[in-house]
Amino acid sequence: MILTPNILARLVAIVVGGVILQLSFFSQVALFHVVPDVLPALAVALGLLGGSLTGAVCGFSVGLLLDCLLIAPLGGGSLVLLATGYLAGLFRERFEIHSALVPPLLCLALTLFAELGFGAVQLMLGVDAPVSALVIRDMLLKAIFAFFLGWAIYVGVRRALRPALVEEPMTARRRRRPTVLGA
Amino acid sequence: MYRKQVRRRRAVLALLVIGSFALLTVTYGQGSDGMQRGVSTVFSPILSVADGALKPARDLVNWFDETFDAKGRNERLHEELKTTREQAVGAQAALAENAELRKLLDLDRSGAIPSGYEPVTGRVIARSPTVWFADVTIDVGSGDGVEVDDPVVNGDGLIGKVAAVTGGSARVTLIADHSSAVSAKIVPSGIQGVMKPSVGDPGDLILDFLDSEKRVGKGQSVVTSGWRGQGIESEYPPNLPIGEVVEASLLEQEAQQQVHIRPFADLRELDLVQVLTGGSRG
Repeated sequence: MILTPNILARLVAIVVGGVILQLSFFSQVALFHVVPDVLPALAVALGLLGGSLTGAVCGFSVGLLLDCLLIAPLGGGSLVLLATGYLAGLFRERFEIHSALVPPLLCLALTLFAELGFGAVQLMLGVDAPVSALVIRDMLLKAIFAFFLGWAIYVGVRRALRPALVEEPMTARRRRRPTVLGA
Repeated sequence: MYRKQVRRRRAVLALLVIGSFALLTVTYGQGSDGMQRGVSTVFSPILSVADGALKPARDLVNWFDETFDAKGRNERLHEELKTTREQAVGAQAALAENAELRKLLDLDRSGAIPSGYEPVTGRVIARSPTVWFADVTIDVGSGDGVEVDDPVVNGDGLIGKVAAVTGGSARVTLIADHSSAVSAKIVPSGIQGVMKPSVGDPGDLILDFLDSEKRVGKGQSVVTSGWRGQGIESEYPPNLPIGEVVEASLLEQEAQQQVHIRPFADLRELDLVQVLTGGSRG
């Protein structure tokens, strides 16, 4: 990714917009009693398009802003989403993205990873109450939602960052063939 | 050149990881600090506007979810309606008696808000996306008289308490959060216990440490006990409704001294809440 002031501003807007949308919309709707979490998918999209460093920095920023706005202990969200963004970026650097299904599948897997990460951080800090088995259902449904929402997020972020992308990761643009009259 | 890039990348990554751990270590259990206050103050109006603007879209999504639920709920509600009708007759008589007693004792006639508390109404503007934290952020803060540990209710009953405040917003830790513990009692029997959540299931609370000699029945209501003594007192005023007993097996009561409660308030869908400011908490 070629980082110019314009692209940096777009990255900041994506991060801030994503966190505001999560808190004001997704966190307040419930599908099958589960609140969708799009922030891991956002970190995945940024990691896939920008590489491991961009993914890690954006994931860290998303987590930090989230914790600030929720007036929660800082660092937990940053740590988990930084790892999520970094892993997505690492995937992009190591493997070719051959199929359009790769980004949503990666969103599914890494959202599950992020939810487990949130759980691990919380367990590390201490949980003073019994944990219901419904936590597993919640994590799995969040991951499934991320599969569907992740595709839209990836396409939206790619569109916003298109001027900075060195290569089109999904498909090469098709060149229009010249029309040959009489052929 | 490539090595330099790799070194730089590793350095940034290490810095971020160390930064995360440092932030976690410094801020955990400390409440809000200056940075959070600043960020929250800047973003609170934006969140408020976004909250209002996105409400129709949220309602639409929630409508789909509720429609799926409605079918299953219908049968249960019919059963509940039948029971409630029977109870309503008894409740009318009890209400009349209660009003007379309150008049005699010169207490607040409504009884909804305990005396000495000043309710401040706020709207939920954000909530934690992860299942591990049952927190919401509301659009009233220290500027409105809200303080840390103030109890928070909605039209159905107790929902939690204020955990952190900034000038224009506050974080409310819900009673479904793993860190929550509320001293509660069963009415009318008065059996005392400590209400704790079951992480990941906000519809299931556990009333623990019950007296195993006394029996608790399904359908009984649970309210805050609001104890006080020897210079300390509960963070919650007495008699705030919490929920009703939905599962009270004899085995669980005897072996684990606990029963399961369903909160009156729907903790997944909170909109308008009231913070009970003031009071006489020591």
